[in-house]
Amino acid sequence: MSSLYLKGVKLINPSSEFHLKKVHLSVKNGKIDYLGLKETTNSTKAIEGKDLIVTPGWFDLRANFCDPGMEHKEDLTSGLKAAAAGGFTDVCLLPDTHPTIQTKNDIEYLKSKGRGKVTTVHPMAAVTLGRKGEELSEMIDLHHAGAAAFTDGHDPIWNTDILLKTLQYLQPLHGVLMNRAEDKWLAKFGVMHEGVQSTRLGMRGVPVAGETIMVERDLRILEYAGGKIHFSLVSSAEAVDMIKKAKKHGLSVTCDVSAHHLCFNDTYLSTFDTNYKVSPPFRTEKDRKALIAGVKDGTIDAIVSAHEPQDEESKKLEFDLAEFGITGLQTLWPVLNQLDIKGELSLEQSLLAVFAGPRKVLGLEPVALEVGADACLTVVDTSAKWTFDKKTNLSKSINNPFFGKELTGMVAAVSNNGLVQTTN
Amino acid sequence: MSKLSTRHLLGIKDITEEDIQLIFQTADNFKDVLNRPIKKVPSLRDITVANVFFENSTRTRLSFELAEKRLSADVVNFSSSSSSVKKGETLLDTVNNILAMKVDMVVMRHSSPGAPHFLSKHVKANIINAGDGTHEHPTQALLDAFSIREKLGDVAGKKVAIMGDILHSRVALSNIFCLKKLGAEVMVCGPITLIPKFIGELGVKVEYDVKKALEWCDVANVLRIQLERQQIKYFPSLREYSIYYGINKQLLDTLNKEIVIMHPGPINRGVELNSDVADSDHSIILGQVENGVAIRMAVLYLLAGVKEG
Repeated sequence: MSSLYLKGVKLINPSSEFHLKKVHLSVKNGKIDYLGLKETTNSTKAIEGKDLIVTPGWFDLRANFCDPGMEHKEDLTSGLKAAAAGGFTDVCLLPDTHPTIQTKNDIEYLKSKGRGKVTTVHPMAAVTLGRKGEELSEMIDLHHAGAAAFTDGHDPIWNTDILLKTLQYLQPLHGVLMNRAEDKWLAKFGVMHEGVQSTRLGMRGVPVAGETIMVERDLRILEYAGGKIHFSLVSSAEAVDMIKKAKKHGLSVTCDVSAHHLCFNDTYLSTFDTNYKVSPPFRTEKDRKALIAGVKDGTIDAIVSAHEPQDEESKKLEFDLAEFGITGLQTLWPVLNQLDIKGELSLEQSLLAVFAGPRKVLGLEPVALEVGADACLTVVDTSAKWTFDKKTNLSKSINNPFFGKELTGMVAAVSNNGLVQTTN
Repeated sequence: MSKLSTRHLLGIKDITEEDIQLIFQTADNFKDVLNRPIKKVPSLRDITVANVFFENSTRTRLSFELAEKRLSADVVNFSSSSSSVKKGETLLDTVNNILAMKVDMVVMRHSSPGAPHFLSKHVKANIINAGDGTHEHPTQALLDAFSIREKLGDVAGKKVAIMGDILHSRVALSNIFCLKKLGAEVMVCGPITLIPKFIGELGVKVEYDVKKALEWCDVANVLRIQLERQQIKYFPSLREYSIYYGINKQLLDTLNKEIVIMHPGPINRGVELNSDVADSDHSIILGQVENGVAIRMAVLYLLAGVKEG
């Protein structure tokens, strides 16, 4: 299907003249052929409803499709289905596969396998071989092969010299280094945030200092080396504050947060439910609020799914033995919708960090919703309810605290790459 | 009230003060039974209990087994020094295999915090936590508080210092929850590297000077240095630890009052506690062991009376 007719939907895109207006939008052969306030005759069956919103296509900066190597958790086909169902027209994939994504062949494998789908695959390449933090990958070659960004994924770059060289080496390419801020010694053995909750539960904690000292270190090196750094998955109020100040000082720094870090804090771990075991860990309510404030004031550039599939054998275990991660692609929208319903974070603010922020982080052109443009858009319903269960879940994994629950907020349609995919 | 508010004993955190008092009253009765010529009652005659120990234990297992036998329960024991996962079988599989043999209650010790909570969500049997990693050891806390009550008449208003390796101690955490629920004042004392940074937020005092802690308290519960649970170095040597954090008679003689000394065992003699204290009149360590059987009988008896649903 390549045509779509949206009748009376709210458009969210601050750079459009129709921002926050009820519009009628038509897509034919993959292009927007009508956008206006007046109804138009259209042969395509209309999608209409008072609670519908249309935005430029959503872009996820961080998902793990486990392909190649751990296809029993997820593969490119299932991951892309989950991404489209979650409203994403674009998704960046972590290089944390077996083998690691670190050659142009690896990039080509992902790109070719992902071709012809409504969601575009943007592979990211490892900074160091095997993500071991020791030897640099061939980043220029990888860049020309189409690597969207460079990251060692779950592993922070702990070697300061490698970090320095990477920031320098990527500059002529305008390449982005995505790094996780986590000190490997302070985080070692930690399974949750270190605080009164971890003390009550007798579990080893990861202190906030494990994040802040790495943010500080990376910012100092950035100041010295130049280039661009993006912090993936910031989790603490202190880190948000440090990045805010660094931005003020004119450093080229960006960051993202996962949608689930905006809705959960460390009190959710009190029943030892391994679905809440994530890295970085859910921190305190104060941190959660600071992350929301960071999205509001633009310190946090992007909200990501942090989609991390784990098979049942990796999660149905004692807490300290279970793997980290949540499958976030299909629940990002209900999470953001809920934050809006509760009055914590408006959709105008949060969605900007889902369609505009990520593209800006990667230095890509913004997507325009205008007549003649390729139709890259996402349509969501704010009131429709659905149950996230075996039937609706499209990932191969079910490690998500919302699994089995009824959620408010449904993705109605996505259009991209000349294709249109609608729900129902 | 004669029933517990829960069908599992996962931790002190999850039970009420009323539950604790009920356990104590029941333990009083069982302690009488234990001092009779015939020490056995038929209360759990139709009940089968599995003691499933994934970590080494001598006294806790023995204490549970004796308690079960005194109540006339059928008892099976399973122990594995390493986690079953390392052997390729999951915890759930191991326990389900045991339960398939029609077991009603599981007493479990495991190295992972929350392992009994995990189990309680997936199996039908009553679960008793006999120690889960660095989380809780509820029956130890109950017998400790019961021993304080026996020695000093009441727990409320008493000052209890928990000394030593607080970071790796499930006994410390369960004791804190239990003593606070019963109205005692609690202090923790030890080297700063072995005191969890946020422990003060649980409503306990924190002291790093052993002498000051001893001067403050009515009861000192001295913990074992958990060398086996320390994955990295927390202090330079046992020699230095015993000099600056160990408790000996000379130190107790400098106090201008008598205090009660407790230890959950096994003691590292000459490290956290010297023999001249462990074997002195200050010590109620063997009384704790005796009370352990009565407390465990009470817990088993009361939980057997709480059915599912």
